[in-house]
Amino acid sequence: MRGLALPLLAALVLAISASFAAVACDPVRSDAIAALGPEAPGVRRGPLHRPGQPCLLCHDGGIGDPEAFSVAGTVYPQPSSTQGMSDVLVHMIDVSGSTFEATTNTAGNFYVLPRQWTPHYPVVVTVTAAGGDAVPMHTFIQRDGSCGGCHVAPAGPDSPGHVCITLDDGGTPP
Amino acid sequence: MSPRPRPIALLAAVALLAAVVACSAPAPDGRYVQTALPDSASFPPVAQLLSIRCGSIDCHGMPYRNLRIYGSTGMRWSPSDRPLMPPCDTPDEIAQDYLSVVGLEPATMSAVASGGDPSMLTMVRKARGTEAHKGGAIWKQGDDSDTCLTSWLTGAANAAACDRAITSVLPGGTTNPLERCVVAP
Repeated sequence: MRGLALPLLAALVLAISASFAAVACDPVRSDAIAALGPEAPGVRRGPLHRPGQPCLLCHDGGIGDPEAFSVAGTVYPQPSSTQGMSDVLVHMIDVSGSTFEATTNTAGNFYVLPRQWTPHYPVVVTVTAAGGDAVPMHTFIQRDGSCGGCHVAPAGPDSPGHVCITLDDGGTPP
Repeated sequence: MSPRPRPIALLAAVALLAAVVACSAPAPDGRYVQTALPDSASFPPVAQLLSIRCGSIDCHGMPYRNLRIYGSTGMRWSPSDRPLMPPCDTPDEIAQDYLSVVGLEPATMSAVASGGDPSMLTMVRKARGTEAHKGGAIWKQGDDSDTCLTSWLTGAANAAACDRAITSVLPGGTTNPLERCVVAP
């Protein structure tokens, strides 16, 4: 029995070390996280931090990382807004018909934990501000659970800009 | 008894062989020239399908993919355009998508355009999920989406199948602004 325990322990240590090494040695991920910059002054790590950023870059469930999210992002009132919008209902439906709803917090952030809902992609989303009309996303989310992975501000040829409720002129986002 | 080869001579011979192999390269004019290409005239509805199903910004609508798709639902060709603004794929985007698709596996594409089995192409297998694909199985062999792509690869695109494939998956159905971009069969 004792003779078997030692190799098992060694294998376990090796496996854990390899996992840490794999997480720590992804230079693309490390560079992407570094490019996000430090925390905003006066905002602690938590549900209100880093609005607009690609949440799942860190919240990916890797060893030593913060808690994993399956879907997360930030909703803004308008494309040019710098402050997120609270109490926006984010309605998601995946390819199997499974749905989930989340509500944005005071930073405009929302997040879904894998134990709450893990979608099968593609996913379709609708956002609805309190007392407002539902604003549908007209394209699919194919695989990235971070809204901020695609919705990078300002808008450009490869980004629609912030997830928002209205355009700056009050119109409906396309 | 013959003399044994000296280790130093053996090492030199191996190094020389390695150098020759490492320095050999195809002749600069020896690149493959495609002998057959799929029909470009019937490609627009295929491009639209690829844009909607494959070309979102988190998939092939980004510059880091071997298969790079431009279109209204993802990455735009014109620097002044934005996703969904304008809502329809532009002629430039369709032209770029055509080049992306036919240039992905040039030799195999020629073989398929000459009557070969479309499943020889990686993109066909990945879309069907019969080959590992980060996005999973996008469609099934023989369904409207698959027919749209493979009919184009082997002749001319079945525009009716493309139309059905696109309209059946658009989020929001007829309220989707992309619906008015569907190329009528």
